[in-house]
Amino acid sequence: MAARTILRNEWRLLMADRPLKIVLGLFVILLGYALTNGVLWLRFQERTVEATRTGNAERIHAFEQELEAIENGAEPSSPFADPRSPLVLGGPSGSHTAVLEPGPLTALAVGQSDLLPYYYDVNVYTNESSFQQNGEVENPLNLMVGRFDLAFVVVYLLPLLVLALSFNVLSEEREQGTLALTLSQPVSARTVVTVKLAFRALLVAGMVLAVSLLGATATGGFGSPGRVLLWSATIVTYALFWFVLAAWVNTLRRSSAWNATVLVGAWLVLVVVLPAAINAAASLLHPLPSRVEMITAQREASNDAVNRRSELLARYLEDHPEMAEGVVADEPGLGALSWAATDAVNRRLEEVTAEHDARRDEQIALVRRYRFLSPAILAQEALLDAAGTGDARFADFQFQVRTFAEQWREFFVPAILAGEQMSARVLHDLPRFRPRDEEPTEVARRATVPLAALGGLLVLVSAGAGIGLGRVRGAD
Amino acid sequence: MIRHIARKEFTDVLRDGRFRWSSILVGALLLVSLAHGWDQTRKARQEHAAAQATAREHWDTQGEKNPHSAAHYGIYAFKPRLALSFVDEGVDPYTGTSVWLEAHRQNDFLLRPAQDATAAQRIGALTAAQVLQHLLPLLIILLTFGAFAGERERGTLRQLLATGIGRRELAAGKALGIAGALSLLLAPAALVGAAALVVANPGPAASPLARAAVLAGVYLAYFTAFLALSLAVSAWARSARTALVVLLTVWVVNGLVAPRVAVDLSKRLHPTPSALEFARTVEQEMATGVEGIPRPDRDESTRRLLAEYGVESVEDLPINAVGVYLQESEEFGNRIFDRNYGALWDAFERQGVVHETLAVAAPLLAVRTLSMGLAGTDVEQHRHFASAAETYRRDLMRRMNGDMTENSLTGDFTYTVGAEVWEAVPPLQYAAPTLGWVLGNRGLSLAVLGTWLAGAILAAAVRVRRAEVG
Repeated sequence: MAARTILRNEWRLLMADRPLKIVLGLFVILLGYALTNGVLWLRFQERTVEATRTGNAERIHAFEQELEAIENGAEPSSPFADPRSPLVLGGPSGSHTAVLEPGPLTALAVGQSDLLPYYYDVNVYTNESSFQQNGEVENPLNLMVGRFDLAFVVVYLLPLLVLALSFNVLSEEREQGTLALTLSQPVSARTVVTVKLAFRALLVAGMVLAVSLLGATATGGFGSPGRVLLWSATIVTYALFWFVLAAWVNTLRRSSAWNATVLVGAWLVLVVVLPAAINAAASLLHPLPSRVEMITAQREASNDAVNRRSELLARYLEDHPEMAEGVVADEPGLGALSWAATDAVNRRLEEVTAEHDARRDEQIALVRRYRFLSPAILAQEALLDAAGTGDARFADFQFQVRTFAEQWREFFVPAILAGEQMSARVLHDLPRFRPRDEEPTEVARRATVPLAALGGLLVLVSAGAGIGLGRVRGAD
Repeated sequence: MIRHIARKEFTDVLRDGRFRWSSILVGALLLVSLAHGWDQTRKARQEHAAAQATAREHWDTQGEKNPHSAAHYGIYAFKPRLALSFVDEGVDPYTGTSVWLEAHRQNDFLLRPAQDATAAQRIGALTAAQVLQHLLPLLIILLTFGAFAGERERGTLRQLLATGIGRRELAAGKALGIAGALSLLLAPAALVGAAALVVANPGPAASPLARAAVLAGVYLAYFTAFLALSLAVSAWARSARTALVVLLTVWVVNGLVAPRVAVDLSKRLHPTPSALEFARTVEQEMATGVEGIPRPDRDESTRRLLAEYGVESVEDLPINAVGVYLQESEEFGNRIFDRNYGALWDAFERQGVVHETLAVAAPLLAVRTLSMGLAGTDVEQHRHFASAAETYRRDLMRRMNGDMTENSLTGDFTYTVGAEVWEAVPPLQYAAPTLGWVLGNRGLSLAVLGTWLAGAILAAAVRVRRAEVG
C-alpha cells in the first residue's frame, strides 16, 4: 500500500519535472543514435561476409571452367598460373577466405570488431605472418576514439543519468523538510528509498533494455537468447550499482550539493581515471613484447631456409614420411625444393610466434587482474562478451583458421612434393572452412567472472546502503 | 586592487582541501603519464632504429642474385617516432609500425600495437595529453564554478562590489588567482616535460623545440578558454549548483560525447571501402588496368624497343627488354596504387575534417588535433611517412630494374650482382615534417580554438558585467 502511494507520487513528480523530462528525452535520442550506428556497422560487416562467400564460389567456378577446358585440350592462360599445379590451385590465387560471422549482438556493441580481422585468405602459404594483418580498413583516428554505440552509452553515460536521478533521493526531502513528514507515516526510510530508486531504475534500465531488445530483434540477435540475457543482466547490475551507490551516499546525511560532488567524483574515478591508470600501470609493470623483433626473426628464418633448400627437403621428408609418397629425395622437383624452404620458414615462424604469444598471454593475464578495480571495465568486458565482439571470440576464430590452414596444406602438399597435377575433380573435395561459433555455455562461463565481480561490487554497496538506511531518522 | 583579489583567490584555492587533493591526483597522473610516455617513446625509438639497421644489413648481405630477385626480397621500413610523441601517443597504437617494401606492390603498414592489447586497454590510455585534455578542464571547473555564484549565494558579492571594485577587475583578479594556483601544478609539469624532451636528445629534425613551444601555447589557450567559460557560467548562473551542473554537462559533451559522435558522423559522411573491397579493387585494376591507365603490353614494349634501337630481334638489343618491361609494369602499378591509396587517404583526411569541424561544439577536438599534429602522431604524419617509404620503394625498384636493363641482355637469367649494388642504394632517410607544415595543415583547428578562446573571454566579460548581485 505504502509502496503504491510512493510510486504514484514519484510518477506525478516526474511528470511535473520539465528539466528531467528533457534529460530523459535526450538520453533516448542518444540511445537511438547509438543503435543506428551499431546497425549500420553490422550491415557493413554482413555485406563483407557475403562478398567473401561470393568470392570463394567465383574462384572455384573459374578454376572449374579452366580445368575442364584444359582437359578438353586448351592451353592454360599462363604457364605460371596453370590451375593443375597444386601451388596455383592451393596458392594465393586459389585462396579460400575463412570468415567469421559478425557477433550476434554487434549492433549493440562494436567492440573489437573494427580493429581485429574477421576474415583471412587461406592458402598453402598461410603461416604465422599471415595473421599479422590489419582488420577492416579504418581511419586510425576513429579507431583511437572508438564508436558511439550502445555499449559506450551504457558504460559512460548511463551512470551519469542514474546519478542525476538519484543524487538527492533522501537529501532533497531532508532539505525541504519533508523527510520527517514522510517518515511519520507507517513506512521505513528503507522502503521509501527502495521504492523511489526502484521506480527510477525501472525507468532507466527499461529505456536501455527496450532499445537493446529493439536492436536485437531488428538484427536477428534473438537467435542467441543467452547472449541477450547476459547483455540485459549486465546492464541491470551495472545500473543498480550506481543507484545503490547514490543511495548509500544519501545516507551520509550531507547536502544534495555534497552528494552530487562525491558521486560525480566517484564516476570520474571509477569510469575515467581508474581504467586509464590501470592501463598505464599494466603497460608499465607488464609491457607487451614487441612485434618488431618478430619481423627480424622472420626475415632471418627465411634467408636461412632459402640458402639450405636441399638439406631442408631431406629433413622435411624424414619428418613427414606421409607426405613423401612417390617423391624421390635424390631428384626433388622445383616445387618440392621450394616447399621445403617454405615449411622451414613456417616452423621457425611458429617458434618465434609461440614465444611471443606466451609472453603476451602472461602479460595479459596479469593486466586482467586489475579489472576488478573498475566496474566500468567489468561491465565493458561482459557486454562485449555478450555481443560477441570481445577479444576471446576473435582469438577463437584465429585458432580455427590455423587449424583450417593445416587442413588446406595437408590437402595440397602431397601433390606439391610429388610434382603432381590436379584435376577438376579435386575441386569438390577441397577443404571448406566451417566456423564453429562459441557455445552458449562457453560464453556464459567466461562472462560469469566479470558479471559476478560486478554483482559482488553491487552487494558491497548494497550492504553499505542498507546499514546506512537503517540509521536514517526523520528527525535528522 | 586586482592584485589583492588575485592573492585572496590564490590563498583560498590553496587552503581548499578539495583543490589540494584533486591537484595532487592530477599532478601525480600527469607526472606518471609523462614518465611512462617518455620511457615508451625512448624504447620504441631504440627498437625502431635497431630494426631499421638490421633491415638494412639484411639488404646489404643478401648475397649474389639477380637485381629483380633483390627487388622481390625488398626491405622493411620502420616508422620512426618523434621525440615529442611522449606527450601524446595519438593514433600510433592504431597505425602499423612497419611496412615491407617489395617489388610490384605497395603494402599496408602492419603490426598495430592495439591489436596486441585487450579491449579494456582501448577504453582509456593514460597519456599526458589525456590528462591535459580531460582532467585539467575538470579541475578548472571545480575551482571556478563558485567564483561568482558562490559569492552571490553567501551574500559577499554585494559587499565586495560595495568596496568600489569594478566587476571586470573582480573577475580578472579571480581568474589570475586561480591561474596562479594552477600554474603551481602546470609550471613544474611543463619544466619536467621540457627537460625530458631535451634529455631525449631529439636532434634538429622536425623542429622539436618549436613544436613543443607551440604545443604549450595550444594547451594554455585551451585552459584559458575553459577558465573564461567557467567564469562566464558562474557569473550567469543563479546558484553555484546550477553553474556546476552546466559546466559538468559542457565537460561531458566536450570530452565524451562529441568525440564519439564525430567518429560515426565522419564515417557516414565519408565512407571508406571494406578491406576486402579495397584489396579486390586493387587486384582487379592491376590485372586489367583502368581507363587512362592501361596495363603495359609486353609485345608492344618490345616492338618499341626494337624500333628505338633499330634492330630486328631482342637478342640484338644492347639492353635487357625484360628490365624495361618490369619497370613499365612497376610504373603502371604505381599509378593504380596512387589512385586507390590516394582516395583512401583523402577519405581519411575528410573524416578528420569532420572531427575538426565538430570542434565548434567541443574545443577538445581542436586541441586534440593540434596536440597530435605537434607531437607528430596524427594520421597526416603517418601518411607523410607512408608516402616517403613508398617513394623510397619506387626508387629502389627503379634502381634494380635499371641495373638489370643496362647490365644484362634479354633472356639472360644467369645475371647476378652482389653487395656493391646493394650497398650503392642510399638508406631510407626520412625527414619528418616541420612545424610550418603541421600548422599549415591545421588551420581549421587553430581558427576554431582561437574562436573558442576569444568567444569565452568575450562571454566572460559580458556575463560579468551583467552579473546580478543578489
